[in-house]
Amino acid sequence: MSSNSVDLKRRERFDRVVGVLHRDLYRYAAWLCRDPGIAEEVVQETLLRAWKSLDALREDSAAKSWLLTIVRRENARYFARKRLETVDIDSLTPGQSAMLAESEDPNLATMRQAIFRLEDDYREPLVLQVLMGHSTKEIAELMSIKPGAVLTRLHRARIKLKDEVAKEAAA
Amino acid sequence: MSASGKIMNCEDYREAIAADPSESFAGGAEHAAVCGSCSAYRAEMRALDDTITKALAIDVPELKIPDLPPIGEDDGNVVNMPFRRATRITTPAWIGIAASFALAAIIGVQFVGNGPESDRLLAETVLAHVDHEPWALKVTDVSVSAAQFERVVNPTIGTMDRNVGLVSYAQSCIINGNTIPHLIIQGEKGPVTLLLLPDEMVHGAVSLSGKSVNGVILPHGNGSIAIIGEREERIEELKRRVVDSVEWSI
Repeated sequence: MSSNSVDLKRRERFDRVVGVLHRDLYRYAAWLCRDPGIAEEVVQETLLRAWKSLDALREDSAAKSWLLTIVRRENARYFARKRLETVDIDSLTPGQSAMLAESEDPNLATMRQAIFRLEDDYREPLVLQVLMGHSTKEIAELMSIKPGAVLTRLHRARIKLKDEVAKEAAA
Repeated sequence: MSASGKIMNCEDYREAIAADPSESFAGGAEHAAVCGSCSAYRAEMRALDDTITKALAIDVPELKIPDLPPIGEDDGNVVNMPFRRATRITTPAWIGIAASFALAAIIGVQFVGNGPESDRLLAETVLAHVDHEPWALKVTDVSVSAAQFERVVNPTIGTMDRNVGLVSYAQSCIINGNTIPHLIIQGEKGPVTLLLLPDEMVHGAVSLSGKSVNGVILPHGNGSIAIIGEREERIEELKRRVVDSVEWSI
């Protein structure tokens, strides 16, 4: 097989995998870093790294976990490089404000802000479970923690969100 | 009934349903069927989850594929080790004579070479890290459990053939913000430190040299592997085995 043909097949596979999962990658990145601009950069770096390492992906069915792992690492790299401060919800960038822009449903806007304020350790497993459909075991592997710790974090995350939403409704 | 075989009480159920509103855990449905209060709590959690799902589904910008380089174009610095199947290391003669003694004093190596700043910084970070865990450098014939090894060298990192040597220490450590496997294998001349660095690229092999030790950081795929052993350790032989034994997940 010629090298052109190999490259073409590789590119077709890449487009197929990325095309299906692009929305998940972006949303995961956005909720990890809480900034749409940074999320786009993280996804771009992820795509580059995935392209270079595509041969390491043996089964396309494993692509989602594989790509989310790369997103997670690229996000950590980004913050290690930039040494960014923790996000303060009272001083948001325009991109962050857009991410939290009030929806027509006030309950949704309240919830989005509550998720935004959640500690990273609680927000990430929640996103992986609810948005990505990951099992407890898969989340534990991705985050390098024990399944019991995943369940504790998920439980606490929901209780915090429930309390926040109730507090907002009472106000 | 819970997974442990016990009857689930309300407190257990509520903790479990808040962690997993799909109720995939054992005994949940049975408990909710006979407990109206918990059944109502489940409905509340599921309604909360509906809102969480909608809130998380933020708008996604149009997919922009970056310029993808031809494969192999920037792989010039990667050392491609000749293939050699990993083999079990021979048991060092001194194992069994000495129960265990620390070799911390041998650490104190220096980066050698004229590589780029990033390589020098990584070398410093690696050496500082090894310096901070001297207790791991023990002569022993006791290997870590398979479970511990698999926890540390897990699928998010990649795979490693354990037969590369007797693995006497395995811990997850943080290097430059990334969780990495820190392993010690028993070499022919003493303990050998291996740091698997899937996120750290070097521009070529980075030599680490000292009075008593001999080491190297080798490029491997999109990452690198640090190998630091005793001065007399046959690093050339060892690095082939180590590199052949490791495969990154990404």
